[in-house]
Amino acid sequence: MDALLDPLRDALEGQIDFEGQRLAELLTTFLLGLTGIVAFFAGFMKQDIALSLWVGLAGTAATFAAVVPPWGFYRRNGVEWLSPLGGVKVTVS
Amino acid sequence: MHSTLVRVQNVFGFFTTVAFTVATVIALSTFIHPQNPSASVQLRNVQVQRGRPHYYSYKKEEYAHIKFDLDTDLSSLFNWNTKQVFLYLKAVYPSTKAGEPASEAIVWDAVLASAAQAWHTVHYVHPNPKKTKSSKSAKDKSKKTAESPYPRGEIHLKNQRPKYQITDVSGKLQNRTDVVLELGWNVQPWVGALVWTNKVDLGMWLGLKGGVSKPFDFPEIGKKSGDTQTEKGKEGHRLEVGGEHPVRRGSK
Repeated sequence: MDALLDPLRDALEGQIDFEGQRLAELLTTFLLGLTGIVAFFAGFMKQDIALSLWVGLAGTAATFAAVVPPWGFYRRNGVEWLSPLGGVKVTVS
Repeated sequence: MHSTLVRVQNVFGFFTTVAFTVATVIALSTFIHPQNPSASVQLRNVQVQRGRPHYYSYKKEEYAHIKFDLDTDLSSLFNWNTKQVFLYLKAVYPSTKAGEPASEAIVWDAVLASAAQAWHTVHYVHPNPKKTKSSKSAKDKSKKTAESPYPRGEIHLKNQRPKYQITDVSGKLQNRTDVVLELGWNVQPWVGALVWTNKVDLGMWLGLKGGVSKPFDFPEIGKKSGDTQTEKGKEGHRLEVGGEHPVRRGSK
């Protein structure tokens, strides 16, 4: 049973490595901040508040898509764990 | 940020912060949009009649029927953050007792919608002075969207009938003096605070110029100063003197 459930659990948890976590944090701040600024100025230039709303929502959706799934570039720097005493060497990505 | 769930929470949490910040900046941005509202209000005709608040009421009250002219330009109140403007004309008259605040009653009001707002039946449609009543059927056929003959926020009403006939808490309204008609509004934005009529200049927002009529008096009951064209028949009966019981002609 574990052999079946483990891959499923790994996919749902979507763990990324330490460098990936730093990158994800940075991307969240940058993308959402940019979205807010662009949303305001787009609406202000066109004098259309609905445009602000849609730009803001689109940018937020893009940020979710970029940050939430465990993309490959978040898991490039896997940690090399020491092998347990008497065990085999394991790489956790 | 190690697992999917934590990343969802982080992104959503920062999204709420950004959304709130943008909304605040939008609300503040309206202060750099200049406002210069102006209005002129004139009394056309006022008449006081005795009537009942509803059909089965034994109480009789005095109602004032005020007709007025209104010319106003509120187009500068419409900026990118304006959802609608609630415009109202109120009659303000001093209290009978010294030291008590003046009474105010709304005579006429209108909901002026912005261009971005979807059409709703409560939105005000400015009457077209060029069109006569005979062309009404033709207008109804071609009417897809209601159009005002003037730019948004501009209103020019001649001899406008009141929407509401007003009364007083005491039920007595005749011979009251120093009544003025005053224009007021409430700007309802998409995001931000409601803004009521401003009489003073606030940076680029100039206060309302004019908007108050000359003082007048409520006349005695039955004294007419012109035809008010009050509807007679059906519900109009309730405003007639002695109309509380149907009296047959010749039965006395």
